[in-house]
Amino acid sequence: MSKTIRLGNRLRYPITIVKLLKKPGDVVKRQEPLMQYSFKWMKTVGDSVRGETWEEEQTSIVNWDSPSDGDLKQWLIKEGQRIDKDGPCFNVKEACSHDIQFQGLCAICGKDMTEVNWAAEERDTARAPISMTHDLTNLTVSADQARRTENNLQERLLQSRKLSLVVDLDQTIIHACVDDTVGDWQKDPSNPNYESVKNVKSFQLDDGPAGVARSYWYYIKMRPGLEDFLKRVAEMYELHVYTMGTRAYAQSVARIVDPEQKLFGNRIISRDENQNVIAKSLQRLFPVSTNMVVIIDDRADVWPRNRHNLIKVLPYDFFKGIGDINSTFLPKRKDILPPAQPTEPVVVNGNGKSKAKDAAPENTAEEISEDTPVTQAQLEEQERELEKQMKDRPLQLLQEKQDKEDEEAAEKATVNSEDGDDTPPSSPPHQRHQVLRDDDTELEFLEQHLTQLHKAYFTEYDQQKFRRRGEDAASIPDVGPLLDNLKSKALRGVKVVLTGIIPNEISVERSEIGQQLISFGATILNRVNREVTHVVVNPQRLMTEKLKQALRIPTIKIVNPEWLAACFSQWAIADETPYLVHVDVSSWAGGRQSSNRISDAEETDDTIKGKRKDRTLRLKPKLNLVSESGETQELDDDSDDEGDSDASDGDDEDALLPDVIEDGQLSPVDGLKTFNWGSADAELDEFLASGSDDEDDDDDEGETQETEGVTDDEPTPSRKRKFEGEEGDTEGEVGTDSDRGSTAGEIAPKPWGQPKKLRRTQSIRGTSSLRNQYVSEDADVDGDGDSSLPTPQVTGDEEDVKLKDLHEAELEAELEAELLAEFNAAPDPVEVGGERDQDKG
Amino acid sequence: MFFLHNLERRVTLHPSYFGRNMHDLVTTKLVKDVEGTCSGDYYIIAIMDTFDLSEGRILPGSGLAEFTVRYRAVVWRPFKGEVVDAIVYTVNAHGFFAQAGPLRLFVSSHLIPDEIQYDANATPPQFTNNADMVIEPGTHVRVRIIGLRTEVGEMWAIGSINGDFLGCLQA
Repeated sequence: MSKTIRLGNRLRYPITIVKLLKKPGDVVKRQEPLMQYSFKWMKTVGDSVRGETWEEEQTSIVNWDSPSDGDLKQWLIKEGQRIDKDGPCFNVKEACSHDIQFQGLCAICGKDMTEVNWAAEERDTARAPISMTHDLTNLTVSADQARRTENNLQERLLQSRKLSLVVDLDQTIIHACVDDTVGDWQKDPSNPNYESVKNVKSFQLDDGPAGVARSYWYYIKMRPGLEDFLKRVAEMYELHVYTMGTRAYAQSVARIVDPEQKLFGNRIISRDENQNVIAKSLQRLFPVSTNMVVIIDDRADVWPRNRHNLIKVLPYDFFKGIGDINSTFLPKRKDILPPAQPTEPVVVNGNGKSKAKDAAPENTAEEISEDTPVTQAQLEEQERELEKQMKDRPLQLLQEKQDKEDEEAAEKATVNSEDGDDTPPSSPPHQRHQVLRDDDTELEFLEQHLTQLHKAYFTEYDQQKFRRRGEDAASIPDVGPLLDNLKSKALRGVKVVLTGIIPNEISVERSEIGQQLISFGATILNRVNREVTHVVVNPQRLMTEKLKQALRIPTIKIVNPEWLAACFSQWAIADETPYLVHVDVSSWAGGRQSSNRISDAEETDDTIKGKRKDRTLRLKPKLNLVSESGETQELDDDSDDEGDSDASDGDDEDALLPDVIEDGQLSPVDGLKTFNWGSADAELDEFLASGSDDEDDDDDEGETQETEGVTDDEPTPSRKRKFEGEEGDTEGEVGTDSDRGSTAGEIAPKPWGQPKKLRRTQSIRGTSSLRNQYVSEDADVDGDGDSSLPTPQVTGDEEDVKLKDLHEAELEAELEAELLAEFNAAPDPVEVGGERDQDKG
Repeated sequence: MFFLHNLERRVTLHPSYFGRNMHDLVTTKLVKDVEGTCSGDYYIIAIMDTFDLSEGRILPGSGLAEFTVRYRAVVWRPFKGEVVDAIVYTVNAHGFFAQAGPLRLFVSSHLIPDEIQYDANATPPQFTNNADMVIEPGTHVRVRIIGLRTEVGEMWAIGSINGDFLGCLQA
């Protein structure tokens, strides 16, 4: 192999070649003079003591020594040539190109590569800079060797029609924790979690972060269906493990997941070999071409360079609240939602599924330019984390809390019964019963996607091969664009507005959710207009301007972030029904809806399995899920949704009103017959007793003010119609809401946001459904009358409400006036006009 | 290659050990400290005996006693060109790693006979000529050392099985 040697930067250019000392064909050794060159320089001569000095030009002739060994093939310079800058000097056939190096030794010739030689400008170790083996970092190869190795690999994979699949461990295919509670539960068949934790595997590490870590038991829960998933996927993909855990951890987990080492073999790379603690890179394993590599990982931000190859997986969160035990080095995963509000009830509700909300989380691939290896401090931090988990036993706490709630729930008559679980019938936030639930179905979708991708890839490959028959397969298709293409079909035509989800300071397009939405072909809009198909709201921050605008337009489906998660998981426009946020007059209904939705979300995962379009199928389990009255409501919901796309008048109402109520009017009343008023009273008492509502209120206040401040000038003409609708339906609502409230066993509604005032009322007055329904009713009546008051500042209004909750009626009126004013000034006369007509009529 | 080598080392002893069997303690400590270490060029495999144990001298300030011990040890110094037997522990596309006692060797695919090819489809991956030669983790191989590098406390070597009578031992 011939290599071109350059003159180097260190010569004093310009130089003139004086003589070539070697001929082509000669064997040259390092440091041997090869040629002579001359250069001119200025020398100071004269008497420096007297100061009589002057510069004189000097010409020196110097030998040029060979920086490398080998056979001189050809000179690229001529005698007498003047050279002004660094350039090629001669070609040499090297004895050894030092393509593979092991710990500073050339693995081909055995020479020590760390020797530094003055004749050579470049160190020999720099010739093989690429580390591409999974389990070692001290074996490095040159770019050439890497290319050869990778070509071999690709050829082999193509022959067996496989792709490479890089698999993350934590929260992707398994969930790990070090909480010994799991071990206790495993030994105790009477524990409600016994069934769930039965097949949790455990191991102890023989190394790990020193000391205490040695005594940890790691509990590993495999994602449901993992074994079959891996087995089937392994027929299409060559599997690699890429984890941020330590090597020992990775190997232990691999032994559990793949006891025969058939799936992963030795293709395991861990934090120890990664050389970077905050990011993973495919280039670490596939330095030349990632054309045939797919990644599945639950975090996208750790793959800054390989997003195109990444299939992001819903994080597997079996041990609730534990998260990823190996992520302490990584930048904090940012939740999709702001931390739950401090009000106790909301937190309780949020808790149940807070991790699921996490589903599409991590807002930004935050660039932390921290490229240091694992420091001692970081290790200690991880150890502290683990120790904390050991001591705190968060799972036990969760279960205790759960048990307490169960007791409370048991006191109340409950109608809802759970699906096939062995848990007793319970109130909707059923995951409380056993903290650990084994109901994840992500892998099924994932397998579909992987199969799809594999098929697409090899179709493309065959076509390319057919086209360029004869030529050697110089280029193979790149899986990245194919994957992008597949994904981009998923949500094509969906136009999304996000509100209350991404912090203002981050641009939507750069946020994690935004990037994902775009990659799935959805369009993200910043403003609500007629084009928008979905508005994703944060159920805990409903009072946003965008939402109000969205309410005006009937075709917009208002969904919660879990809908996004479902879409990302299914690669299709998920059925919105379970995720609809009912922003209606009685936010109580919304609150109920929310809890219902939680169960639905899981239910959906269980049952959807691609038959998304078949609504009846999907709905069936829901029938079991919800109460008698709820059933009908759910069904009605659906029919409404179908109509939604037509943007008919009735749907107009839907956006504004709780369709649930409108259509399900009768059934909720039916539900009242069986309603346990005693429990409702108890609930009411409880809530009036608890003083946490005010805090809640305060919080809301701040948020609202913020958002209002930003978008104050935007018109909100939709309010009026809403009130009207409320009036018509109040009776039905009362029934529905109280019924729902009690069934839900919920204490406080999440303010589902609605007209501001209503939410206010609710949170202020405590949270009994009955109570607040009456309040809102009153408010409506009052609000409709007076509309001639000057328009107050929105924020001021809010404060007032907070301060004097007794004067709501007046405030309603003020608000109404404000809305009317805005309404009249609305820039969209056609639309507004139409609405007004309806109102008057 | 193994050698009997005369070596010298200073051993310190804590005052609490001062007593009649002090010399035994010194020897024990020496063995504990020294055996199995790599002193740059060679590994100290085993200490045969101590033939000279100086008087202890109290180190000012700490009270520890320092003995100068001269001892005879079996040392192993790998040489370039030496043929050693080793056990394979990792196989990858670029070659395989083997361990000859304490010494880690890498045999790159360039230094493996052409007919022995890497087979990534096997579990675990192996080098094989599809006949009698199968090199996978656990295989005993005879390797010629062609390059050595030492750092304090560690040595690495490059091996080759390109040659007569080199390669798999079971074969």
